[in-house]
Amino acid sequence: MSDAAPGLYLSSTGSYPRIGDSPELQVLRKTIASLDRGERTTADLLDAEHEMTRRAIADQMKAGLDVITDGLVRWYDPISHLAGKLENVKIRGLLRFFDTNCYFRQPVLTGKPVRRGPLVVNEYSFARNALGHLPTPKTKAGKLSIKPVLTGPYTLAKFSQTEYSGNGVPETFASLEARAMAYAEALAAEISALSEYGAELIQVDEPAAVKFPEDWAIFENSLAQLIKARDNAREAGRKIEIALYFYFHDCTPLYEKLVELPADLIGLDCTYNPKLADLIASAGSPKPLGLGLVDARNTRLEDPEVLAWQIERMLSKIDGGRAHLGPSSGLEYLPRDRAFAKLELLGKVREALLGPKGSVK
Amino acid sequence: MSREKLKSLGLKLPLFPTTSVGSFPKPDYLAKARREFSKGKITADQLHELERKATKFWIQTQEKLGVDVLVDGEMYRGDMVAYFAERLPGFTEGGLVRSYGNRYYHKPIITGEVEWSGPVTVDWWKYAQSLTKKPVKGMLTGAYTIMDWSFNEHYADRRATAIALAGVIHKEVEALIAAGCKIIQIDEPALSVRPEELPVAIEAMDATTKGLEAYFITHACYGAFEQIYPGMLELAVDNFDLEMSNNDLGLLDVFRRQPFTKDISFGVVDVHTHAMEAQDVVRQRVEQALTILSKDQIWVDPDCGLKTRTVDEAIEKLRLCVAAAEAFRN
Repeated sequence: MSDAAPGLYLSSTGSYPRIGDSPELQVLRKTIASLDRGERTTADLLDAEHEMTRRAIADQMKAGLDVITDGLVRWYDPISHLAGKLENVKIRGLLRFFDTNCYFRQPVLTGKPVRRGPLVVNEYSFARNALGHLPTPKTKAGKLSIKPVLTGPYTLAKFSQTEYSGNGVPETFASLEARAMAYAEALAAEISALSEYGAELIQVDEPAAVKFPEDWAIFENSLAQLIKARDNAREAGRKIEIALYFYFHDCTPLYEKLVELPADLIGLDCTYNPKLADLIASAGSPKPLGLGLVDARNTRLEDPEVLAWQIERMLSKIDGGRAHLGPSSGLEYLPRDRAFAKLELLGKVREALLGPKGSVK
Repeated sequence: MSREKLKSLGLKLPLFPTTSVGSFPKPDYLAKARREFSKGKITADQLHELERKATKFWIQTQEKLGVDVLVDGEMYRGDMVAYFAERLPGFTEGGLVRSYGNRYYHKPIITGEVEWSGPVTVDWWKYAQSLTKKPVKGMLTGAYTIMDWSFNEHYADRRATAIALAGVIHKEVEALIAAGCKIIQIDEPALSVRPEELPVAIEAMDATTKGLEAYFITHACYGAFEQIYPGMLELAVDNFDLEMSNNDLGLLDVFRRQPFTKDISFGVVDVHTHAMEAQDVVRQRVEQALTILSKDQIWVDPDCGLKTRTVDEAIEKLRLCVAAAEAFRN
């Protein structure tokens, strides 16, 4: 990541399709199916995950992104991938993930969820290494970065349940707040570890916070632990920023509260309400924004000139003129060819905005 | 309560009519044939014959069990949206997207004006109805759900898409009625996905059924119904087919606060477990329903389609439904 210099960065918002229509893009699906039948090993699975992670990173580089993720290729879903690695958490049945037609496995807490090992640190390390081994265009040398992604404590807690012992004693983690605070403790430790491994920008997804505003206080309290972990890392001399991302719901009603949160960058899904772009352009933002203007849920490609015009209106009102342009959410909801087209679109928008040489028109 | 409507359509159904939600498991020979067809090893005609054989099996099975309103079991379908998308002009097959874990499907893309170029389901309905004297439901996917489960590159917004699709499904309903179908189920599992869009779903269903004479059922499942109730009762249907058992009849509390004013196909067995409910448990669920609803309102069926069960499990779950309904009739 370059310094927080003014400018527009092209950024992934998390996931990338882990399958495509051609045989070489189905390696992960086939390996998992073979593993389930006992015909392959977990080492084979790891190889397949590595392969698809490299491909996800290569696609993002090819499309000209500045801030890249590992595509969350190894994630079963945004909830159980993290919660399932914590002690005292069982993973159970399928539930719909927001208004998508995708499903996640619900965590059930049998006690306090405790982090006993890394959640995504190893994935981050692999991705960073993979990025380093891919040929980088001269203009991008030293400027690309891998952004690890975490699902936030409130969203994890909102989609978890507590297992009842049935002995009539109230369960400690029956309350949403208790679950959120326990998850926050685990995630704060992960943020510290990621920082020690060199992550300078960490994306924390909290889609449930805009969907269920009635729990705002719980969300805010749980966030405080993550911010404290960031501040501790800074005090230790490390460079680290937390980007909070909100999607799958209209962010407009909560906009003023969202931009006041103590994160370093606020990522917003701008596709649910076209008035959000107007609001940003008029009210401005006291901190950098992630602008989710490219619809990650529909295959239709936006007009880059229109998006460039929207960004031009907003950019001057955003503190430092810094924004991350990206898809409205992770791209795993699109077929792979369309997901790549959306990434390419980001570059076209920047070109329309800045001109081919990169200077503002 | 639509007993009068049923009567006016010439349908004489007992109290607590039994039915099922739509899909049944495909027998092994059909599952194998579908795989072979996808690899080009058998012809479409060969596959079609086996689909007819399996449909006949399920019609006969439902008759033997004593089900009152039958379904064809959807032996010819894979996905409930893709089946229609593959047969309606305006759709293109999209690439693979993930459903969950390691499951993927081809999500349709609307790339042009959606049109109805002829009946999609009528031949299957006619075939199924020819095998029995009991009424067979016409089975359609609703406009709102087709819209929500497709990408849209053609219409201006979600509402415009849903309304255009409603016009198409309306024509399919007309065709089913012209063929003699009197009970038509229009599935809307996406109904509660975006509560703020309930007016769009209502408008689309209105456009789908408007001016057409049939007894209409809609099936919805796995949703946050408490967020769209009682507004959802404005959907232009006579009967809501709802999964009740999967959430321990929690919806009854919602109905307690605001009366449920339509007929209900009350899910009394959970379709997502291999375990069989005890007969007493199923009867208790009907008893619970009767604390809130009148006996004239209640139909009895499984929570959802039974296609994920084995053939034997599906038959046993249906048997439990029929036994419970008969116990209350007597």
